[in-house]
Amino acid sequence: MRLSRLGRLLASFAVAALLVWGWQLIADYKLVSPVFLPGPDRAWGALVKGFSTGDLGVKLLATVERMFWGWLIASLIGIALGAAIGTSPRLRAYLAPMLEFLRPLPASAMIPVAIAVLGLSNGMVLAVIAFGALWPVLLATIHGFSAVEPRLYEVGRALGLSRASVIWKIALPSASPDILAGMRLGLTVALILSVVCEMIAGRDGLGNWILLAARSFRAPDLYAGVILLGMLGYITAVALAVLEARLLVWRNRAR
Amino acid sequence: MRAPDTTVKATAPVIAFDKITLAFGAKTIISDLSLEIGRGEIVCVIGPSGCGKTTALRVAGGLIPPTKGTVRLLGEPMAGPRRDVAIVFQDYAKALLPWRTAAGNISLALEAAGVAQSERGDRIRDLLAKVGLAGHEDKYPTEMSGGMQQRIQIARCLAQDPAVLLMDEPFGALDAMTRQGLQDEMLAIVAETGATVFFVTHDLEEAVYLGDRVIGLLPHPGRIGIDQRIDLPRPRNQLETRETPEFLRLRRTLFDFIEKAEH
Repeated sequence: MRLSRLGRLLASFAVAALLVWGWQLIADYKLVSPVFLPGPDRAWGALVKGFSTGDLGVKLLATVERMFWGWLIASLIGIALGAAIGTSPRLRAYLAPMLEFLRPLPASAMIPVAIAVLGLSNGMVLAVIAFGALWPVLLATIHGFSAVEPRLYEVGRALGLSRASVIWKIALPSASPDILAGMRLGLTVALILSVVCEMIAGRDGLGNWILLAARSFRAPDLYAGVILLGMLGYITAVALAVLEARLLVWRNRAR
Repeated sequence: MRAPDTTVKATAPVIAFDKITLAFGAKTIISDLSLEIGRGEIVCVIGPSGCGKTTALRVAGGLIPPTKGTVRLLGEPMAGPRRDVAIVFQDYAKALLPWRTAAGNISLALEAAGVAQSERGDRIRDLLAKVGLAGHEDKYPTEMSGGMQQRIQIARCLAQDPAVLLMDEPFGALDAMTRQGLQDEMLAIVAETGATVFFVTHDLEEAVYLGDRVIGLLPHPGRIGIDQRIDLPRPRNQLETRETPEFLRLRRTLFDFIEKAEH
């Protein structure tokens, strides 16, 4: 059975609505103590109240800012380093083993190290986020640059393009699908690390809000924070997907 | 006293291979190849696989430096690729930028040559018209047939205003009808621009149909085995030219050469 686009959209909404309804039932019949699980109605109420008093908006903004800057720094460094490594087989040979060692290292393991070096500062938080979000961007960029069709480099030589033009007009656009995929992964990592840093280092933001709500048994507030984080992740992913579709128009056109 | 250099230059061949040897390690691909191609001449190069015909083209284009000997272009030794030597690759799908439209791909050559942006639009429209693709500027390569993609690559090469066109089996991957159409278009374009053509092919009939001369290479290592003049009258015609006794005789000569070269 094939569903149309609209049909699939409706179906996905129906499934989500069903889950919320189930959640409401569990809360209404007190299958789980309301101290730990408020219904969606109470969570939504806490969300609205949090925004109307202005408190939650500030926390959301703090988390978004943190995530965005950390991700941007990671992306810029990742693309620049990745381009250098990806276009040079020698650099690749020297650095690849070290990158493979550093890559699987959980970025949250770096938080104590970062605190020791940079203190409990915003700079420390940014460094940790950037460090974690760097790897997907860096590795995808290296792959993208090393997979450029060799024939295109010959075309560049035959046309007499400068080295800068070859990178800007041939290598970078060719690597752009990989780079954007890496940046999308990096954004998810940046969101996770923003929340973790806020929890561990006590910086103001949604992560801290959730932690404090849990410790003082304000379950509706806790769920309001979780819902907000989910929405944030979803919205940023959609925004990046739209950007990607616009930048990579040529990939979606076929004969 | 020696004569002034100008007289030498006026009669100099457009491309001259002077005792070219090319080896990768212990393997000799081309051995002691000497060949002169005059202005406006269309020289087709044939030979069994392993004879180094594509390698010879890449040496002529400055993409690979020869191990020994020099290639001269208009009397000057080639140090690397030059803008007045254009290369048409066989694999058009790999040689075009998939993220650029037809117009964008042609524009790449104009950008490389430093043509002002305000002039590019008109040049691109002229070039597209010349290869029979007027009105297709906004199509991406993936939206075009193989024949159209190869036309875009030819247009990009013409944007270089080349004195020499190096063509590496440009029509080898196309179906028979498209190939014949492009052969005639190419002959018309070359007649108009006066470019000198070095055309590598494995299709003997194509070599006779297009060429003023057909060079047959022998393999292991690559060297010249036959240098056949083609005196068929121009303009040539896909049906009439191919039916003349002279065409059939030349085809037979080359066929016998390949037969012998492979054994």
